Amino acid sequence: MLTCKEFDDFMVDYLEGGLPVWQKFMYWLHVKMCRECANFIRQYRRVIALGQQAFDSPDSAVPDSVPEELVKAALAHRTSK
Amino acid sequence: MVFEPTAVDDSGAAIYMGVSESQDVGASETELLECLRAGEERCFETLVRHLGPQVLATAKRYLRSDAEAADCFQDTFLAVFEGINRFEQRSSLRTWVRGITINQCLMRIRKQGRQQEESIEHLLPVFDENGDRMELSGMIRPSGISASIDKTRLKCIVREKINELPDDYRLVLLLRDIDGYTTKETAAILRIKINAVKTRLHRARSALKSLLTPVLAYGE
Repeated sequence: MLTCKEFDDFMVDYLEGGLPVWQKFMYWLHVKMCRECANFIRQYRRVIALGQQAFDSPDSAVPDSVPEELVKAALAHRTSK
Repeated sequence: MVFEPTAVDDSGAAIYMGVSESQDVGASETELLECLRAGEERCFETLVRHLGPQVLATAKRYLRSDAEAADCFQDTFLAVFEGINRFEQRSSLRTWVRGITINQCLMRIRKQGRQQEESIEHLLPVFDENGDRMELSGMIRPSGISASIDKTRLKCIVREKINELPDDYRLVLLLRDIDGYTTKETAAILRIKINAVKTRLHRARSALKSLLTPVLAYGE
């Protein structure tokens, strides 16, 4: 049985699918047996999703257009070099 | 399709990261490229207007000030214009320009040098001597926060909290979780080892989880 610390140490590998089958099973077993780690990984996955959602749409600071002076400056910057 | 990353070059123009997006090089992009390579002025303007919003958004995401983002915007397009003849079309133009933008941002951050940043140790999970987790489980819903947060506000809070992370962690999180680079690509871009990417990523996500605890219960 994994300790919570061991569970935590390999979380990135686990989520990337980089663990061997037996370690995956140990992970699965730990999640079933440990409420704290089950909660932790559930919230951890949610944090990843929230991060992705925070930048995924026009209201997430992606401007519809660039200020005209910035466009002009970029073009002028090119011709001045 | 994912290509192997090439070495990151300080000039910015040589950078190529192979996260191939669904929008591969299409007919209109090929025409635009031919026009750019022919040095036609109107095509440079088309490119700036077409990809400018993406470049500015990326620069604002990585840099902490609008003024820095504006300077980075100009440097990015200069690197794009200078490097357009070296673009091998192994990815879309959009992906290539995004790689250059990120490299320009990283060059600026490196130039600024290491800032005095707050430790994130207090935001990381704690374990006892047996390796058992010593953390309160469950969702905390503090009284100071409204029972409902609209999605736009939630996104804004998440972006603010990501910005609170020290650069070592914030950059790995942005590259891996937001811009979708693989662990190997992130290691090449940041010039660090793969294991360092994994460690920083886990610490960044764990710290962000702590910072977001008050809002994690909403919208599940």
